Amino acid sequence: MAKRRMLLMLHKIIATLLTGFYGMCGIPGASGYAFDQIVPDVRQPAGVSGGSACPVPSHHLISPGAIAEQWSTVLGTSPVTILTLDQTPAGRLNEVEQVITQSMAVWTGVSGTTLLPGTFAPVTRTPAQNACGSDGVNSICFDQADGAFSPGILAFTRVITADIIGVQVGTGAPATQVGQILDADVYFGPGNSVITFATPAALPSSPKAYDFESLLIHELGHTLGFSHSAVLAAMMYPFAPAPGTFSGTRPSAQQPGAPLGDDDRTGLRALYPDAADTLNIGSLAGRILPANPLSLPASPPGVTGIFGAHVVAVDAASGAVIGATLGGWSCAAPGPAQFDGTYEISHLPVGHNYHIYAEPLDNTVYPSLVTPATASLCRNPTTDAGWPPLQACVIPAVNTSFTTRWRPGT
Amino acid sequence: MSYKQRRRFLWILFLAGLALLAIAASATTLSRLKLEDLAQESTAVARVRCLGTMSQWQRGEIWTETKFEVLEREKGALPGIIMLRLLGGNVGHLHSHVDEVPSFRAGEEVYLFLWAREGEPYQVLGWSQGTFRIARNPQSGLEMVTQDSASAAIFDPQTRAFRRGGIRNLPVAIFKEKLHKALRQENQ
Repeated sequence: MAKRRMLLMLHKIIATLLTGFYGMCGIPGASGYAFDQIVPDVRQPAGVSGGSACPVPSHHLISPGAIAEQWSTVLGTSPVTILTLDQTPAGRLNEVEQVITQSMAVWTGVSGTTLLPGTFAPVTRTPAQNACGSDGVNSICFDQADGAFSPGILAFTRVITADIIGVQVGTGAPATQVGQILDADVYFGPGNSVITFATPAALPSSPKAYDFESLLIHELGHTLGFSHSAVLAAMMYPFAPAPGTFSGTRPSAQQPGAPLGDDDRTGLRALYPDAADTLNIGSLAGRILPANPLSLPASPPGVTGIFGAHVVAVDAASGAVIGATLGGWSCAAPGPAQFDGTYEISHLPVGHNYHIYAEPLDNTVYPSLVTPATASLCRNPTTDAGWPPLQACVIPAVNTSFTTRWRPGT
Repeated sequence: MSYKQRRRFLWILFLAGLALLAIAASATTLSRLKLEDLAQESTAVARVRCLGTMSQWQRGEIWTETKFEVLEREKGALPGIIMLRLLGGNVGHLHSHVDEVPSFRAGEEVYLFLWAREGEPYQVLGWSQGTFRIARNPQSGLEMVTQDSASAAIFDPQTRAFRRGGIRNLPVAIFKEKLHKALRQENQ
């Protein structure tokens, strides 16, 4: 008995030491999949705004051939932006297009979503160098010298959504849903003496080039509505694999979705849920509340739970992060968001055991640092003149006054 | 468990923790820029205060222009007021978004590594990587600096631990020391 008590005490000491040690060093938060969100403009009639001030994630309308992508066949010169194994003009274009098609198949290869292989229309080619722009056409560009590039930026995706229906971009069709993606363009930095990209076939002989396929799969994730994930194994992790390397597994005919992490798959199922899915219907939900309710911030009013905790679900058998979310809020029509400590990680595979933990953000992290996951949750009369007070909210400061401890035995 | 075994166990845990912290984050959109790279590649470096932002259509895209008052110049000749242009923003009912492009609030103070092509407005070098926000620690009153890209922590499921790269929670004085060292290296 005495020995057991001593062991328990030892556990407590170790936990305290490690918590203190990690606390000193400012161990940061790890957020999983996230989506760019938009609060509908409820100043407009409910017929166009939906009438609810609850945030809506950016998303595509899903139907066969709904997502069309064109790509610019201008690949630059001296050096070309995309290095290929096949050096013939036609062969080069075919090799690039094959990677584009295969990268789309990576996302449509995930089970339990409405995103199916037929959701992307067959890719089309355009000879225009500057095909990317807010024109309502989804494009992928390789030699467009966009003013947004700076050193350190390899590629980016610009996504446009609207906060009411009926709005259109360029020649695109008007939005029929709030948050619908109206234009998503992928820009690869034009090749230069420092940065080039290589197809999987050319990568082994191009050790200084970045893996084109890895970057394109990541950027296509943005075009589908994803923001970045801090889960290392996720495809939506923001940093590129080192030149000459790729991370994860290459897609194959048997496993088209192989390069994705579990966090990416869970996110895709959450964003494009399939009502007929019977395998990924698990959900972990709850509220994170402080032991002492008086420790909650007095301002803004109405905060009843811990806001800004990262809640992570880890598969007990594999140790993989299956899903993670930034917890602390909920929303029911007509809104606004309530900061009640609620979290939910949905679309988890059933028949598995999970470990779940909540983890604080560090104490000097601005809410803007966890954008867009939190910064786009609220609108109010200060941010938007004439916003109805009853549907207004103010994002509270991220609550960090708690620590994470693994319970013994987990 | 003997005293010796317990002590060894605690040391192993402590060293394992240290090792985890020392592992640098592996680098999809971004290539990793060290402070030295930022110092070398930047056109100017300064501590600035955000005065306000405005989003508008320019050359077929939504851009956000942010006006800053320059408080301290660390590199480059900068006027008292500078204007930054960054992709994305809200105009009318449209919302244009690019991950890792920083956004600023009026009154906020930051160290920025600025970069510009000739004849073009300044932008932030490496976006989130060239943005170092200043926050006052509520307990100590000390001003601390955190790099935007350092907010992305990495959870390693194998070790059930966190690791990260970048600058985080560094007192301003220490940050400036590191910055000056990086700038001196650039001049050598």
